[in-house]
Amino acid sequence: MPLIAPVHVLILSVIVIPSIFVIWLSVTKSSFGQAPTWVGLENYLRVLSDPAFRSALWNTILIVVFAVHIELALGLGVALLFASGLPFRRFLMVAVLAPYAVSEVVAVVMWRFLFDPDAGPVTLALQAVGLPILDWSFEPTHAMLLIALLTIWLHLPFTFIILYAARLAIPADLYEAARIDGASAFQAFRRVTLPLLGPAIVVALLFRYIFAFRIFSEVWLLTGGGPARSTEVVAVYLYQEAFSYNAFGTAAATAWIMVVASLVLAAGYVFLLRRQVVSNAH
Amino acid sequence: MRTSRLLTGCGKAVAVFALLVWSLLPIAFIVMSSLKPGREIFAVPPSYVFTPTFEHYVSLWRRWPLFFDGLLNSTVVTMGATVLAVIASTCAGYVYSRNSTRFLNASVLFLIVVRLIPPIVVTLPLFPIVNAIGLNDTHLVLMVLYATFFVSLGTVLMKTFIDQIPRELDEAAQIDGAGRLTVLRRVIVPLATPGILAVSVFVVVFAWNEFLFAFIFTATRAKTAPLVISEMIGSIDGVDWGILFAASTVQLAPVLLFVVLMNRYLVAGLTAGATKG
Amino acid sequence: MKNRLTLDLTRRGFLGTALGGAAAMAVRPAWAASKTLNVLSHKVHETVLGAGTDKDLLKDWKAAADADVTFTTFDSNPLMDRLFREASLSSTDYGVGYMVDNRPTSEIASLFEPLDAFQKEDPIEDFGDIAPGLVQGMTVDGNLIGIPVRHATQGLFYNEALLEEAGISAPPTTLEELVEQAGKLTFTSSAGTPVTGMVLASDLAVFPVMFARAYGGDFITKDFQLVPNPEAMEKGLDTLRAMFEAGSLPRSYATTRNDDMVTWIQQGRTAFTVLPFARSAQLNNPEQSKYPGKIKAIAFPGSSSLPAGTPMAAVTEAWAMVMPKNAADKKLAWSYIKEVSSKRVTNGMALNGNGPVRVSSYADPALIAKNPVAEVEAKVLADARGAFPPFPEAARAQATMLEEVQLAVIGRKPVKEAVAAIIERVKPLMPS
Repeated sequence: MPLIAPVHVLILSVIVIPSIFVIWLSVTKSSFGQAPTWVGLENYLRVLSDPAFRSALWNTILIVVFAVHIELALGLGVALLFASGLPFRRFLMVAVLAPYAVSEVVAVVMWRFLFDPDAGPVTLALQAVGLPILDWSFEPTHAMLLIALLTIWLHLPFTFIILYAARLAIPADLYEAARIDGASAFQAFRRVTLPLLGPAIVVALLFRYIFAFRIFSEVWLLTGGGPARSTEVVAVYLYQEAFSYNAFGTAAATAWIMVVASLVLAAGYVFLLRRQVVSNAH
Repeated sequence: MRTSRLLTGCGKAVAVFALLVWSLLPIAFIVMSSLKPGREIFAVPPSYVFTPTFEHYVSLWRRWPLFFDGLLNSTVVTMGATVLAVIASTCAGYVYSRNSTRFLNASVLFLIVVRLIPPIVVTLPLFPIVNAIGLNDTHLVLMVLYATFFVSLGTVLMKTFIDQIPRELDEAAQIDGAGRLTVLRRVIVPLATPGILAVSVFVVVFAWNEFLFAFIFTATRAKTAPLVISEMIGSIDGVDWGILFAASTVQLAPVLLFVVLMNRYLVAGLTAGATKG
Repeated sequence: MKNRLTLDLTRRGFLGTALGGAAAMAVRPAWAASKTLNVLSHKVHETVLGAGTDKDLLKDWKAAADADVTFTTFDSNPLMDRLFREASLSSTDYGVGYMVDNRPTSEIASLFEPLDAFQKEDPIEDFGDIAPGLVQGMTVDGNLIGIPVRHATQGLFYNEALLEEAGISAPPTTLEELVEQAGKLTFTSSAGTPVTGMVLASDLAVFPVMFARAYGGDFITKDFQLVPNPEAMEKGLDTLRAMFEAGSLPRSYATTRNDDMVTWIQQGRTAFTVLPFARSAQLNNPEQSKYPGKIKAIAFPGSSSLPAGTPMAAVTEAWAMVMPKNAADKKLAWSYIKEVSSKRVTNGMALNGNGPVRVSSYADPALIAKNPVAEVEAKVLADARGAFPPFPEAARAQATMLEEVQLAVIGRKPVKEAVAAIIERVKPLMPS
């Protein structure tokens, strides 16, 4: 069918074919001014045996699992809040979507200032009401928390749009019918909303996982992976190899390891999506 | 009954307030900082009372004409990428929605799996190739790249939205003698409009703020706004925060405007779609 | 710089230079140059040349060479990456690139044209006047691949007003005095701002290296010796650790960046910091700083334990102009390089805030009048050298060293162990 051709032509020419070259890069050693020389699986072994990579992988998994699920719950909540009818909906919608429109670089600069451990407005406000502050420039766990918070802030609109658009597409008659049958709000949610939002939730989750696994700016611009590389994630590790050390072989190997790791993680969701794909295309 | 409604109302108000603070606080600070005199921006203790000044916007206009060129380029690239991505995704989403063969299902998975490859490494071989075919520093190359890195999500999303359009409508049109393309144009697209708009928001935001590809593949003619902003931050002889925040506010505005405009059609399109049952 | 709301008609006439350029092309005035030189640099290099203004230092050269210059500018690290990518292609549009002097390894140098032949045939004015140390830094495997054009040398900046508030009459002359003063300067200033004695970024090797050198040690010497004096390195890190514990280094040390240092000292959140001398103008700019005219600079002091006569080798970083081997018009490129290196243009750039590479520039009365720290800078430059020499794994070596330094300073690892770890982990990265 010629209709699916554009998508596949783009993907093949821009991603797949260059990726084959990247496979070649991953089994060689090369850099600027240094032609590739064959090294076999050495790059992969080096990366996998690097404790810094393993800790980066662990950090990435932590962020992906926590931040994405919390974000999904929040996105669902906000979508339902909107669906239940709100005044000034248009303005509120723009407000909710605003963080997504901000450039990550500028957003991080502002968050760094707001959460400055000594003088940031949010820190001062937290201290004023007696709450503990985020000592993110010193404690790795606090830093990870701030990074999770920042990534949720930046990407919540994404999840929200998908869920809200899907929620709006659920015909109002179904809710009418449920109400006539005497269903409570919660029951309506469980029996009508959730199942019909199923596919959308899965899509949102899946792609959010994919993007979250590659989280970069939030970490690099906020802590640089510090203190002492304790908040480093795999995308930062990859960036260092490719751009700071210009070690193209290791960078390529890291990329492929990332692909395998995120595949394993997303495997469950891919199967779920597959079932949805099959069942909906009756 | 009254109290429970009051509680729900209160609850909603609190939720909305929290939502507003959460979403807008950092942005409010950015905009506020763009109006503060330079030395007040990062002052400790922070100053909330100050005389607003437009000097940063004026300086931006006078000292960084490059930034406005960047905005122009960003606009061109974003529009092109969005059109390309949306058309490709809608066509493909339609096919995947209405047909189900093992091959097609496998290819959807393929589309998704392919996105697991980090874009950063793909640039390594792409740079010499793009240069060799003379597409470096053109708007076209960025449009193609942005669209490509978007169509996986776009296709899956469009498929999900088109799934919700009953097949009977297709069949009815086909009985009337419409070909596939006409069905797509006359039946599907009008009903899938909320989906199309949702999808376009993602592409627009992605393309507007994208940095990596713009940095690698452009030089002067197609330099986009995020690149110029990064130059402002990376200034060797000092960052002028006032100008930077002014630039950020200016860069933020068009996308917000787009969202505002799209909002109207999203709501309208949905009420029309819902009545069709 | 005054901000007047006058309309700048030459720029406002067109909707951006893109359209403006197109319109100009359509009209084709008689003075359009026949050749274009594309330069790949940081924006600062374009600015110090006065490019695009009526004080363009290259105006006459452009007319004589019948050429136009187009700058493609990027932030520093992206710039280096882009430069090497372009130089790796089969042919590139760029004739001249700007490179930092801690990058040219043998491999990278092989991508650029050796300039000795050009220098012989069409020599730069008074070449010996250009600081020999910087020229040496751009000579790789016997080939001169770059001509130095800018340097940034680190000095110790202090806030005179805050020192007065704490009852200190004179800036420190030894490292021990600096530590003592930094301790006294951790207080809340009269402006209500909490002050931390000293602030340093943790993502650059520059600062631990300065502290190590203050005790007579180093990280990696010019001859690629790794940590030749471990005790000195330990003493340097011990000093940093002690300062952190005493609170005279900020608690956010491990995530502090270069820009934070500038902002902190401008806002009066710190009394001491280490920055290139060239920043003096920015730090005292009344539009950005809360203490205009009060931020002074001196040479970074060595320890009192240093034997007399041992100079404190401050860290300096230089930029050089290079010519990619795959450039199209090399003659034009050399002509540009030669002109920018001339005494006239070098002094002109210095007046625009560029760190001049010519020794004679510091004797220029106009510069001395304009730049209050010129004299100090010249003295420090005489003994300064790079943080570490270029070699293939240099970036990785720096990152490893910084990781251990951060652990030591914030107290996660004892200093002795950290120094041992630096030696152990960086050794396999050294060039054989």
